[in-house]
Amino acid sequence: MRLIIRDDANASSSYVANYIIDRIKHFAPTPEYPFVLGLPTGSSPLGVYKNLVEKYKAGEISFENVVTFNMDEYIGIPRDHPESYHSFMWKHFFSHVNIHPNNVNILNGNAPDLEAECVEYEAKIKAVGGIDLFLAGIGEDGHIAFNEPGSSLASRTRVKTLAYDTILANSRFFDNDLDKVPKMALTVGVQTVLEAREVVVIILGARKALALQRCIEQGVNHMWTLSSLQLHPHPMIVCDEDATLELQVKTVKYFKSIEKVALAQGFQQVLPSKVRTGPPRPAAPEPQAVLAVEIQSSSPTIDSPQPTTSRLLQTTPATEYPVRSVSPDIDFIPDRMGSRIPELHLAPRLTPSPETQKQKQLATPAARVNAVGA
Amino acid sequence: MPSADHDRDHDTPSPLPENGMTKLTNCRLVRGDRLVWDDVWISSATGKILRSQATFYDELILPDKTIDLGGRIVSPGFIECQLNGAFGFNFSTLLDDEEQYGENVRQLNEKLIQTGVTSYIPTVTSQTADLYRKVLPHLGPSGGPRVAKDGAESLGAHVEGPFLNPGKNGVHNKQVLRQASSFADLEDMYGPTNINPATSNPMPIKILTAAPELGSMTQLIPELCTRGIVYSIGHSEATYEEASAAVAAGATMITHLFNAMRPLHHRNPGIFGVLGIAESLPRPFFGVIADGIHLHPTTVKIAWNAHPEGFILVTDAMHMAGLPDGTYPWTNGEGEFFITKKGAVLLLEGSDTIAGSSITLIDCVNNFLSWSGATIPQAIKAVTTTPAAMLHVQGIKGSLDAGADADLVILSEEKSEGRTTLVVDEVWKFGAKVFKRHAPPSV
Repeated sequence: MRLIIRDDANASSSYVANYIIDRIKHFAPTPEYPFVLGLPTGSSPLGVYKNLVEKYKAGEISFENVVTFNMDEYIGIPRDHPESYHSFMWKHFFSHVNIHPNNVNILNGNAPDLEAECVEYEAKIKAVGGIDLFLAGIGEDGHIAFNEPGSSLASRTRVKTLAYDTILANSRFFDNDLDKVPKMALTVGVQTVLEAREVVVIILGARKALALQRCIEQGVNHMWTLSSLQLHPHPMIVCDEDATLELQVKTVKYFKSIEKVALAQGFQQVLPSKVRTGPPRPAAPEPQAVLAVEIQSSSPTIDSPQPTTSRLLQTTPATEYPVRSVSPDIDFIPDRMGSRIPELHLAPRLTPSPETQKQKQLATPAARVNAVGA
Repeated sequence: MPSADHDRDHDTPSPLPENGMTKLTNCRLVRGDRLVWDDVWISSATGKILRSQATFYDELILPDKTIDLGGRIVSPGFIECQLNGAFGFNFSTLLDDEEQYGENVRQLNEKLIQTGVTSYIPTVTSQTADLYRKVLPHLGPSGGPRVAKDGAESLGAHVEGPFLNPGKNGVHNKQVLRQASSFADLEDMYGPTNINPATSNPMPIKILTAAPELGSMTQLIPELCTRGIVYSIGHSEATYEEASAAVAAGATMITHLFNAMRPLHHRNPGIFGVLGIAESLPRPFFGVIADGIHLHPTTVKIAWNAHPEGFILVTDAMHMAGLPDGTYPWTNGEGEFFITKKGAVLLLEGSDTIAGSSITLIDCVNNFLSWSGATIPQAIKAVTTTPAAMLHVQGIKGSLDAGADADLVILSEEKSEGRTTLVVDEVWKFGAKVFKRHAPPSV
């Protein structure tokens, strides 16, 4: 777990935006090997989108070869309703950048067959090779996407009934009329998020402090679904100072010191290169055929759930990478001066060293004894 | 200071087939009484403003071009409701060659659009039946083919007369003024096909100005309304009571408020009084000539404050508009006159009689801005949304909402001596750019 603490919301958002941009640039996506980005909605990521748009307009990043998957969408409100997540994404991100609509994926809350929509969504994620980076926010109750307290940590994309608290919280967007608030949503599952090669969560403000504390300092718990991030090989949480209010001073200091030491050593807390690098990917033979089997066998649906623990402990993202977090692949270990001097071809000593002599003497009688003994 | 780097039209290359869509970005849109930072997507294929979100998610296409407007203002194209002529051509002239008349109108349309006026109401003054019958077919709605390069689009003609009060004739020829006692009188005057939606599509006449107190005019208003003609009170001696009766009968417009009507009197407020909602009648729209000559600036401000939602800026410009200063021949059918143009002022030669104006609509907007303290969107509303509502084309013209015609004006602000002046930089018609101001020499 990487926990990055910044002074305020702006600095946190800017950190996340820069991190995503660095990841995309390093990945060097192409039309054949796009960077696959998972995206959230809500108030927490607003600043991130704002930063991304600014960087795009400044010509620092292109989203031409970025494929996006959104986390969730309401069921039963028109797609272009001002509060739909389609509208949110359009208003805050897609309309301002050069992302092509063909590369945008958002769950359709008005699909005739919602279950099929969910299965297809998971299949689409697999078809593009899995999600490279899933950006997320959390709710006050620690929910990630619409995986509210009590959601299975093995859950996948599915129909979800919203918690009463969430409906209440959302009613402010629907004329404060509870009847107008959608009661159900489509959402990716906890497992879907955990399968991303990397998960970056932005947590802002004092209201989220308890959730952050539960997810970092306590165990994996389905009542705080974000805590499942502890099982992910490469999670990163970026938060502001306010969000750390419930954390122990020790925890805050620990993570700050880690970042400080890493910086002093000349590297950020980056991912192993295998995870970071984009094309060329290991050529998967006949990916379609494999997919079909995989979906059948390993994608649980509501109808055919799968046992949780084995999967969670494996959390195998779509392409293979070392589960062990390896050292950054930069040359940060200070070398000894001696190693830079070419090896000298000194003549061997004419007189054998006393130690060698002694050993030889010891060995010889022993051999003899053995020989005699034999 | 405007500068050449406004022109940062960087065409984003697109590997996809052209779809005629353009995205205008980094601009402020005139939306209601506000300037809103937003993008607008337009299509030259449909000639309309697109619902960008639906286009993105449904059509899965992106615009061919993205144009960075550098923070300038995007306004709906201006609508001019009273234009007698321009660039040397007077709508109220009879030419020997009818072909030539149509050609002149087309030429005028191409020039007029460069002033920001994307649609207008060509206005014919009091004339004889002969002239109406000949010219009106050329002046009817012309936007049907939706061709951008045709220039400004007529939304239908305005017949200002001849059923006017001789006491308020202005420069109209008193000899041709008539009274109507039945609808047949109107048909006889204008020609049955010009005033009958059943026989001509589209019907040429859109606005009819008449004095309600004469003949049976007030009784004829409901019949005009059912034909989709806007009845406008003007050139009239109507008392407050007569004007109220006309409004009750369906009058929804007042032609150049204050001019050619009785002034506001404290014991009888006259036509202006109908803006006071004393009779619980809906308040009509009204045209105001903000050229600084027809009306005192304060009078303009009073009118706006009385009923901002009905306030429409008009030029009442004559054919001398767009021509250099000088003396020009003119006839109202009564005799040959000469009109002296000096700046925006038109006077009958050798007199102080105002003979229309030669101002442009953008100058009216700028005058109104400096006199009234109105905001830029409020001033622009008086030449876009409000006239569109008066003409029953709201949501199609004078609007930047999705589904409206993509008639746009791009304006920059020039500030000098504490006064903001709007300048027409570009004009778009049906989603295509038709005019671009030459960049001023770099400072």
